[in-house]
Amino acid sequence: MSKAFDRYTGILFLAVGAIFMVESFKLSQNAYGSAVGPNVFPMALGMVLILLSFRLVFETFRYSDTGKNKIKLDYKRFAIILAAAILYALLLETLGYVITTFLFLLVGFQTMQRGRIWVSLLVAGGFSTSVYYLFVILLKGTLPPFPEWISL
Amino acid sequence: MGTIDYLFQGFATAFQWQNLLFAFFGVLIGTAVGVLPGIGPMSGIALLMPITASITGGLPAEQAATSSIILLAGVYYGAMYGGSTTSILLNTPGESSSVVTTLDGHQMAKKGRAGVALAICAIGSFAAGIVALLGLVLLATPLASVALKFGPAEYTALMLLGLLAVSSLGGKSMTKALMMTVLGLLLATIGIDAVSGVARFTYDIPTLYSGLEFLTIAVGLFAVGEVFKTILEREQNDGEIAKITRILPSKQELKDSSMPIARGSILGFFVGVLPGAGATLASFFSYIMEKKVSKDPKKFGTGAIEGVAAPESANNAAAGGAMVPLLTLGIPGSGSTAILMSAFIMFNITPGPLLFEEHPSVAWGLIASMFVGNAILLILNLPMVKVFAKVVETPTKYLIPLIVAFSFFGVYAVQLSVFDLILLIICGVAGYFLSKNDFPIAPLVLGIVLGPMIENNLRRALTLSDGSVSIFFEKPIALTFIIAGLLWISIPLLLKLRGKKLIVSEEA
Repeated sequence: MSKAFDRYTGILFLAVGAIFMVESFKLSQNAYGSAVGPNVFPMALGMVLILLSFRLVFETFRYSDTGKNKIKLDYKRFAIILAAAILYALLLETLGYVITTFLFLLVGFQTMQRGRIWVSLLVAGGFSTSVYYLFVILLKGTLPPFPEWISL
Repeated sequence: MGTIDYLFQGFATAFQWQNLLFAFFGVLIGTAVGVLPGIGPMSGIALLMPITASITGGLPAEQAATSSIILLAGVYYGAMYGGSTTSILLNTPGESSSVVTTLDGHQMAKKGRAGVALAICAIGSFAAGIVALLGLVLLATPLASVALKFGPAEYTALMLLGLLAVSSLGGKSMTKALMMTVLGLLLATIGIDAVSGVARFTYDIPTLYSGLEFLTIAVGLFAVGEVFKTILEREQNDGEIAKITRILPSKQELKDSSMPIARGSILGFFVGVLPGAGATLASFFSYIMEKKVSKDPKKFGTGAIEGVAAPESANNAAAGGAMVPLLTLGIPGSGSTAILMSAFIMFNITPGPLLFEEHPSVAWGLIASMFVGNAILLILNLPMVKVFAKVVETPTKYLIPLIVAFSFFGVYAVQLSVFDLILLIICGVAGYFLSKNDFPIAPLVLGIVLGPMIENNLRRALTLSDGSVSIFFEKPIALTFIIAGLLWISIPLLLKLRGKKLIVSEEA
C-alpha cells in the first residue's frame, strides 16, 4: 500500500466527485411525473464521493507507509505491450482484424520472451485467422475485414 | 403447477442436447479458466458473453438466453473448481476462494496424495452443488413471492443493503471500498436517464448516450488489469508441480471427508446467500469450523483431508447460494453474479421475482442445469485431473498476449466501436493500479450494475411519497433493510476499533 498513491487517488476521486456535482447543476431539475429530477442522484453521490475522498486523504496522514516488499516492476515490457495495445485499437478498423491481431500478438509474444520466432508466427497467425473465419464466416459476426487495397 | 413440476420441466430443458453441450463446454472452459493464471471466474464469464451471444444467435430469444446462461453459469462453478487445482499442485491459489485449500492441499500433494486431494475437491464440489441446488429449490418460490410484494422503497433499501454489505467486506479499507461503490454508481449515471429522458454527462459524444458499456468495464478491470499485473510483476508459476499418482480416494479417506463435505456445503450455501460474503469467506469459515470440530486440530496444516474437503465444498456451495438473491430478488451479491446478471439483461431477461412467472423455463432450466453441470464436472474431472495439471504449465509468454487479444475480440464483437477498445485499455490500467493499492474492483462493478436500478426505484419511491424521505422509515421491511445495512458496515468498524483482525473477501 502506497501512501502517495492513496493521497493522489483521494484527490483524483475528490475531483471526480466535484465534477459530477458541478455538472449536475446544469441538468434539468424536474422531470414530468416525478418528484425527483435527473440531477439529484448524481449530485448526492458526488457529495458522498467528496466526503469519502476527504476521509481517505485524512487517513493517509495517520498510517505509516508499509512499502517493504517492493517488487521491481518491469515497466519497459509493460510500456511496449500497452503501446502495442493502443495501436491495435486505433488501427483495427483501418487495417482489419487479421492483420492487426497478428501484429499485436507477434509483438506481444516477442516482448514477453525473445526467441522462437517461428512458434510466435505460427500461434499469432493461427489465432488471428481462425478467430476471424470462425466468427465471421461460420457465426456470421462482424469484424473489420482486410483493407480494400489487399484483394483476397 | 408446484415447484416439483417446474423442476421436472427444468430438467427437461437442461437435458436438451444443445443445453447439455453448453453445460459441458461451460464447465470445461470454466475449469481451464480457473486453472490458468491470469484469468479468474469474473473475467472468464465476461469474456465468453459475446461469444455465447453469437453462437446462440440462431435460436429463439428465450432458448438462446437459457442456453447462454447455462454455459456462463457452468463457467462460473467450473472456475471455482479449477482454482483449487493450482492451489494443490503449485501452492498458488488460482482464485482467492481457494487460498485456504493451499494450507492442507499442498501438504497432501507433497506427501504424494495430490490425486486424492483433487478427487476429494471434485467430490466435495459435486456434493456442494447438490446442497446448493436443494437450497435454491426450497428458497426460490417462497422468496420470490415475498419479493413480489416489495415496493420501490423496499427495493431501494434492499439494494442499499447489498451495496453496503459488499463494501464492508470488499477489501482492506472500507473507505476505499465505499469510494469504489460510489464511483460505480456515478459512472452508471452517464447516458440517457431512463426516467426523464434527459442526457446526462454525455457532452454530445454519441457513444456516451447509451452509457458506458458494463461488459467493457468489467473485462478491462478484471481481465486486462490482471494481465498487466502479470506483465509488470513478472509473475510466473515457477514452483514445482506435484506429481499425481493415485487418484481414487480410499474408503477411510472418503469416510474422513464425508462429514466435512456436508458441513462445508451447508455453511457455504448460507454464507453465499448473504450479500457481499461470497465464496472466499465461506471457505475461510468452514476451515475454521472444521478445526474447531475436529478431535485432533493439530493435524490441520500438515495435509489433513478434512482441510481440503470442507473449504472446497464451502466455496462451491457459496457459488450456488449466491444465485439465490440473483434469481429471486434480482440483486447480485458479488462481482461474479453481477456479471451473470448483465448476461441476463443482455438477453432482455430481468432476473428477479417475476423471472419465475415470466420465464419459468429460463429460471428452472438454469437451476436444473446446475445439477447437470455439477455431474459433468465430477465425471469430467476425475479422469481429466492429469490433463488439467498440464494446462497449469501453459507458458505465460503466449497466454498473456492471447488474453489481451481475446478481450479485444470479445469487446469489439459486441460493441463494434474503437471507443470501447480504448475504454478497455484505460480500465485495464486503472484496474491494475487500483487493485494493487487495495481499491477493490468488485464494489465498483456492482455499483455500475445496480446504479440504474437503485436510482429508478429511489425516484419512484420518492415520487410516491411526494419527495419525503420518511417513506424509507415508515415501511417496516425497508427500515429493517436499512438498519441491517448500517449494522453491516458499523460492526466491522467496531471490531476493528477493538483490535480484532478481520477476514476480508477479496473476490466478493
